Amino acid sequence: MGRYTLNRLNFRSYGKLLTYSLLSLGLVPMVFPYIWMVLASFKVPAEIFDRFIPTSLTLEHYRMIFLMGSTGSANPFIRALANSLLVSSVTTLSVVIFGAITGYALARLRFRGRSLLNNFILFQMLFPVVLFLIPRFLLVTKLGWINTYQGMIAPFMMSAWAIFLFRQFFRTIPQELIDAARIDGCSELRIIFQVMLPLSKSVTIIVAVFTFMSMWDEFLWYLIVTKDYNLMPLSVLLGLFTKGEYSSYPGIQTAGATLLTIPILIIFFSFRKFFTEGIALSGIKG
Amino acid sequence: MNSILAKVKPNELVGYGLILPYLIYSLIIWVYPLIWGVSIAFKRWNIISTEKTFVGLSNFVQVIHDPLFWIAFKNTLYFMVVYIPISIFLSLSVALLLNRINFLRSFFASGYLISYVSAGVAYSIVFNLMFSGNGIINTWLGGIGITIPWFSSPKIAMASIALIVVWKFLGYYSLIFLAGLQSIPKSIYESAEIDGAGKIIQFFRITIPLLNPSFTIIFIFAIMLSFNVFTEPYMITGGGPLDSTQTFVMQIYYHTFTNLHAGYGSSFAIIVAAISFAFVFFIRKIVEKDIA
Repeated sequence: MGRYTLNRLNFRSYGKLLTYSLLSLGLVPMVFPYIWMVLASFKVPAEIFDRFIPTSLTLEHYRMIFLMGSTGSANPFIRALANSLLVSSVTTLSVVIFGAITGYALARLRFRGRSLLNNFILFQMLFPVVLFLIPRFLLVTKLGWINTYQGMIAPFMMSAWAIFLFRQFFRTIPQELIDAARIDGCSELRIIFQVMLPLSKSVTIIVAVFTFMSMWDEFLWYLIVTKDYNLMPLSVLLGLFTKGEYSSYPGIQTAGATLLTIPILIIFFSFRKFFTEGIALSGIKG
Repeated sequence: MNSILAKVKPNELVGYGLILPYLIYSLIIWVYPLIWGVSIAFKRWNIISTEKTFVGLSNFVQVIHDPLFWIAFKNTLYFMVVYIPISIFLSLSVALLLNRINFLRSFFASGYLISYVSAGVAYSIVFNLMFSGNGIINTWLGGIGITIPWFSSPKIAMASIALIVVWKFLGYYSLIFLAGLQSIPKSIYESAEIDGAGKIIQFFRITIPLLNPSFTIIFIFAIMLSFNVFTEPYMITGGGPLDSTQTFVMQIYYHTFTNLHAGYGSSFAIIVAAISFAFVFFIRKIVEKDIA
């Protein structure tokens, strides 16, 4: 009996060891492109392609990105980084605010047509983006919003997905808290932002980080509505320069890619728990 | 107007007030474009001119006869055939491994998710350079006497693009599977054990069937993604070599914003949306089962 337990134990710990080894091994290709990217951005051009560990480092590529004027004008990369931050933050704020307001009405208030609106929101999530690309572009053109921040933000300001998540979570908050706030004379808006949101921190953060990430990653829409280098978000500017002026400068490309990656990695590492929770919870955001 | 207002109870007004912004927004940015998009699909219209002529179904007929539509269709199918099985196999493997451990589980989970946050443009740049003819991957493969023309051979360029998208979403799908695995009650395995079912039988008779909701959602995501591929081929191959990485969205982009034919682009988009609906519907019929 003693021997049997010992064998079984050994077998178990070997199994565990194997599990951890496989998981660690699998992590290598997940992380490798990031490491390669950062290294490449500091390499001299001759070593970018075929040497993994550089023999000498250079800041030349970052100097090009940050300081050198491109085609005579002021370098737009810093501006593009600021544009990306602005557009992503404003959209995130808007998605959270209107998601909470609409989600609250759908979860906690009674009015005729509520279930109709609910179904409409689920229905909206089924439609692929390609259907809207052209007419939204025409709409934005008609409004004179090509090459403006409004134009970039317009299609993303409110999200059916965010409303759905807030609605689901707000339904679980006890009615007594809302009643108590009403007795204290709180308006519905104050109930939403001072009672409901503070009680729904994780949902709020999940909505915020996923929205910010998808705006940071957005490419096609920005490509269509921005023509002016000074207004482009970083994703589009880097994309166009990579295909254009910098097409034979891999060092500058990787420096640009690093610049585009670092902010979102900071957000990922600060909120990684919410990223994993958000996926497990909803499985909805595609 | 008065009679409608008279019917609204005062306590309903708050609700209507709060949903009003979303309602108006949806009308402007969702309903109106949807209708407009359909209506211009029946017109011949160059964006920069004001002349629009009604041409009936002619745009749709043209799309069906457009060789590039069928090339994009074929490429999309190729993408799916590579992307979906590899994604599912790898992410289910990672999820099964993650499900076996407690210590460091969240470390590994977020480790695998790190690729998910990388921006399309950034990782396209990185993979384009890493997998280029003389890039690091081929340099290493050269050590054992192989070079693979990842993005430059028309035969495998689309498969290479599918592989880098696998990289991006691997952790994401793994976490969906992991959530599914954790929702399976341990007691089911225990009673199977008592009945003498081995690990392999347990896997195929319990784990796979009970993961059905996760499989369904991943299939739906993967199909919708396949019909929307744009950034990676736009950045890496530009649709080439020999149109082997042309996708639906690239074609819609080209017809509308390079060729400026909004009507044609619109009917193209409607046909693509219809096909993707059909695929999702079909896959749900096949995959989705009621496990309750």
